[in-house]
Amino acid sequence: MLWMSNVIDSKKTIDADEDIEFVLACQKGDTEAFEALVERHQKKILNIAYRMVGDYDEACDVSQEAFIAAYKSIKKFKAEAKFSTWLYRIVVNCAKNRLKQLRGKERREGFSLDKSGEVKTEEISNQSFINAADPGVQMENREREINVQKCITSLDEEYREVLVLRDIQGFSYEEIQAILKIPDGTVKSRLSRARNALKDCLTKVIGDL
Amino acid sequence: MKKCKDIKDNLPLYMDDSLSDADKQTVEEHLKSCPRCSKALGELSKTKSLVNNLAEVEPPPWFKQRIISRIREEAEKKSLLQKWFYPVRIKIPVQIMATIVITVLAVYIYRSGNEQINAVLPPSATAPVVEAQKGQIPEQKIKKPIDKTIREEYSLQEKAASRKPVSQTAVDKVIDINEQVVSGIKDDRYESAPAAKIIALPEAQLEKKKENQVPGGAMKESRYLKAQSSMPKTVFYLRVDDISTAMEETEQLLIKYDAKNIIRQIIQGKATLSAKIKNQKIKDLTASLKTIGQIEKYIMPEADAEGNISIVIEIINN
Repeated sequence: MLWMSNVIDSKKTIDADEDIEFVLACQKGDTEAFEALVERHQKKILNIAYRMVGDYDEACDVSQEAFIAAYKSIKKFKAEAKFSTWLYRIVVNCAKNRLKQLRGKERREGFSLDKSGEVKTEEISNQSFINAADPGVQMENREREINVQKCITSLDEEYREVLVLRDIQGFSYEEIQAILKIPDGTVKSRLSRARNALKDCLTKVIGDL
Repeated sequence: MKKCKDIKDNLPLYMDDSLSDADKQTVEEHLKSCPRCSKALGELSKTKSLVNNLAEVEPPPWFKQRIISRIREEAEKKSLLQKWFYPVRIKIPVQIMATIVITVLAVYIYRSGNEQINAVLPPSATAPVVEAQKGQIPEQKIKKPIDKTIREEYSLQEKAASRKPVSQTAVDKVIDINEQVVSGIKDDRYESAPAAKIIALPEAQLEKKKENQVPGGAMKESRYLKAQSSMPKTVFYLRVDDISTAMEETEQLLIKYDAKNIIRQIIQGKATLSAKIKNQKIKDLTASLKTIGQIEKYIMPEADAEGNISIVIEIINN
């Protein structure tokens, strides 16, 4: 048992340190080390951004912005938390800022984020299910995915971020606390409301689940 | 028993098994007797699985490359900034100091440069006029040929520096007999030149020789000539029958009386010797010159700090 816990501890340490080597090199001005970090985290960052903003192109922009912001302030990063946690916080904040900007734009120009999001989501879903064998199943899956994303995008940002991190990305409560810098109770209560709201939305949109 | 509303808030967490034991027990007890909440739990778990099964999006092919190129731009900006301004507390004072030093130096160089330019510039128009008034002779007549010769010397020196050595015959007719020899110069710069021996060499060759001995020698020499020509001089007019013999004899005399910086020039049937001589020896020289030919003397400037007087002896045919 003791042996097992030792193994787990050492595994944890490795996990905690997997980025630190590159981060330290990057802090000394090695841009190639940052390239390795981009390579390692790009997919996760893009997916968080995509589920947050609900638009693929916007998500690409947000992710790039997040990486640049991380690079600019990499010297401020202290190894108190994991680099990935710090990076995910940056992308969530960038996504929230972008949503704020888009809402402002929407108000000024009468441009609808939801509508454009819908179109883009459809395009991406087409790509996602291209390999499905049965065209009927393909259609059904695509439809469902669009509706799910629509309902996620309809949630308030504070609920959306917790739901994206927990139910889509699968982070633990502790990790979500660290990423969003909110207490455990808040994570739980927000997640609870987010799930209920999403369930209500999907029941409304799809009908019987 | 708790109401459905309270249970509803706990159901999503019940799915995760993240409720306290007490809350969990309450929920389980409620679910047994409430089909609505049971149905809600079923919908919640289906919702969760729908969300869990959302397909991941892939980054576009240009995604990483674009980030990397922007990072490199940032790195370049950063390194430039760091080079010039970081750490601020050290570099800013250094930059301020450097600016002050450069400004002071620039002002100093500008001022000293002015003095040097004045020293090298050809004589101003006012000096000969004053001299002419004093000496009661048409000074312009004397000055003009000298100035002309010097100007020609410059052009020759430039040509010599840039082209092959120019022989005496190849030079323009006006200046074809222009010879210049510096001999007996006690100046440190020319110590290697034989003191008492007068060598007549085509000017271009001479310049080449000097350049080998003293870097920038040609420049110094020409500046010296100009500086000397701008100084007030005692001018002797020596009328003789044979210019070349008279010139030889005059040179011997100058060497005898310890004259420095003897320069010989032959221009259009007229020989000019310029030199510096001790003030006290001027009388002896005048007496000796009388033995060579008919002599006229003009202008008597004051001796310089070392008691030397610049003299010009012009040897003209009777």
